[in-house]
Amino acid sequence: MGTNLFYFLVYPGFLFVAIVGGLLSWFDRKITARVQFRKGPPLLQPFYDFFKLLLVKETILPARGAKGLFLASPVFAVFGATMAGVFILLPLLNITSGFHGDLIVIFYLLTIPSLTYVIGALSSGNPLAAVGGSREMKLILSYELTFLLVLVGVIIKSGQSIDLYQIIHIQQSGTPFIGSLSGILLFIVAIFCLQAKLALVPFDMPEAETEISDGIFIEYSGTPYALIKLSKYILFCILPAFVVAILMNGTRLEGIGILWAVLKLVAVVLLLTLIRNTNPRIKIKQAIRFFFVWMNLLAIIAIVLAIFGL
Amino acid sequence: MGFKSYCFKKSLWLFHFGGASCNNCDIEILDCLTPRYDVERFGMLLVGSIRHADVLLVNGSINKKDKPRLLEIYEQAPKPVLVVAIGACGCTGGIFAEGDTFAGPVDKIIPVDAYIPGCPPKPEAILAGIVKLLGKN
Amino acid sequence: MVIEKLHKTFSKEILDSEHRNDRRITLSIDPAALLPMSEHLFRDLGYRFIIASALHTKRGFEIYYHFSNDSTGLVLNLHVTLDPVKPEIESMSNMFEATNWIEREMHELFGINFLNHPNLEQLVSEGNWATGEYPYRKKFKSNGEAQA
Repeated sequence: MGTNLFYFLVYPGFLFVAIVGGLLSWFDRKITARVQFRKGPPLLQPFYDFFKLLLVKETILPARGAKGLFLASPVFAVFGATMAGVFILLPLLNITSGFHGDLIVIFYLLTIPSLTYVIGALSSGNPLAAVGGSREMKLILSYELTFLLVLVGVIIKSGQSIDLYQIIHIQQSGTPFIGSLSGILLFIVAIFCLQAKLALVPFDMPEAETEISDGIFIEYSGTPYALIKLSKYILFCILPAFVVAILMNGTRLEGIGILWAVLKLVAVVLLLTLIRNTNPRIKIKQAIRFFFVWMNLLAIIAIVLAIFGL
Repeated sequence: MGFKSYCFKKSLWLFHFGGASCNNCDIEILDCLTPRYDVERFGMLLVGSIRHADVLLVNGSINKKDKPRLLEIYEQAPKPVLVVAIGACGCTGGIFAEGDTFAGPVDKIIPVDAYIPGCPPKPEAILAGIVKLLGKN
Repeated sequence: MVIEKLHKTFSKEILDSEHRNDRRITLSIDPAALLPMSEHLFRDLGYRFIIASALHTKRGFEIYYHFSNDSTGLVLNLHVTLDPVKPEIESMSNMFEATNWIEREMHELFGINFLNHPNLEQLVSEGNWATGEYPYRKKFKSNGEAQA
């Protein structure tokens, strides 16, 4: 019981993913600044933002919304993100416990934060938040199917096993999945699904900054908003780690392997940041067509190639 | 300086409210937030919703139709919030002060923490004013 | 080319010159020579006065007067440095109408005194807002850095 609580709360649980997520969020902002020829914020800036929202600002509840749901949604978002994080990082850091690293459980836990954002937006009683909420719902419908097809491709390549320990073991004793043709196609599709799940440009139309005045989070202030920011930092850490685990050979934590693991994680975050800085925001109709038609086509080609062993 | 006020000063989020102005101060405030003058190295960001804001930048003279809206925006901001009046029209009313529809400079409507005069003030003057406000708090 | 012509007439009042590129040349001059030089530029050489800018640095109060030669596209800046404790200079508003309001705004925000100006009232503020305190002045620490 004691070791399980330690896994959930400290390492690799809540404290570890929160701190690593904050540092990766700083990295994203610093690279954005360098690409625009300016200096960026100092190293601890995401933590200053979080503590300012948590301790200093007051919380205002909307008069015409559902107050209980409004306050409960960020708590569920943090909870869902942390649970998914623990179940992803236990196999990745090679810690054995009673859990068998089921891919289906991880996939379901990863949908909890996005759904709670929609519930929170619709319970704030603001018409602009309702527009943002409906856009987020349509986006979830489009990218979840594609993400599921990526997972099907990985399951086929690893010989029909849904155990994350097993998938990492197969890659480390053979070749990593990204080394094959179908693996490259799955990696491309997975990067775009991550871009939509984290609500980064070009898919950030739910929280469009000046178009609908911060969209789904328009009524949040103070402590609930601090929890939403925390859930975003945690997702920023665990989703690239998930891609490293299923496609890029996991991690080997001894000697030079630690540096190599950090470099792989940072490379995925760098790819997300560079796509974020070079694209405009697209409309929700174009995003739905992009995922339903083009990304599903690429994923199905990758699955067919994987069945033939390529 | 306690931990709370240190975190507050290191991460200020700006919200811009433009009154009935000639829009030159709006252009200079927008210049301030572009990559050339880079306010993000101080931790400042422009936010779209008043509920996320820590600093309310007001410019332009306030006329009778704007006055209830400015009061509404000020009440919607979660306290503590700092108010900065920018430009000659924001500080004193400037050349619009003797008109019929003028409803008082900004400090007759909401409490102001810093004044940045000029017509319009250059982005360097706006940044110098905000850094002075941080040093005094 | 124009620098050599000016050096011949005003050789002891020009303190320094900076040739940034073919369209911007800055001459630092003695404040007492401002009026004769501006008159020479306007009447004899065909330059037009555009605008003036003021700064407060650790050398004192600096003012740049910008003149343009419309046929060649050259902008010639005359730069004066005034005393940090009691800044005073002769007003140009009797020669150029445009400097009337520019000098009023400089007096209101920096506290520079323009001698023989016809009407040195405040321009952009209203009432008695901040009379006597000059908002754009900076405080410098003793080693010369600006202090917020």
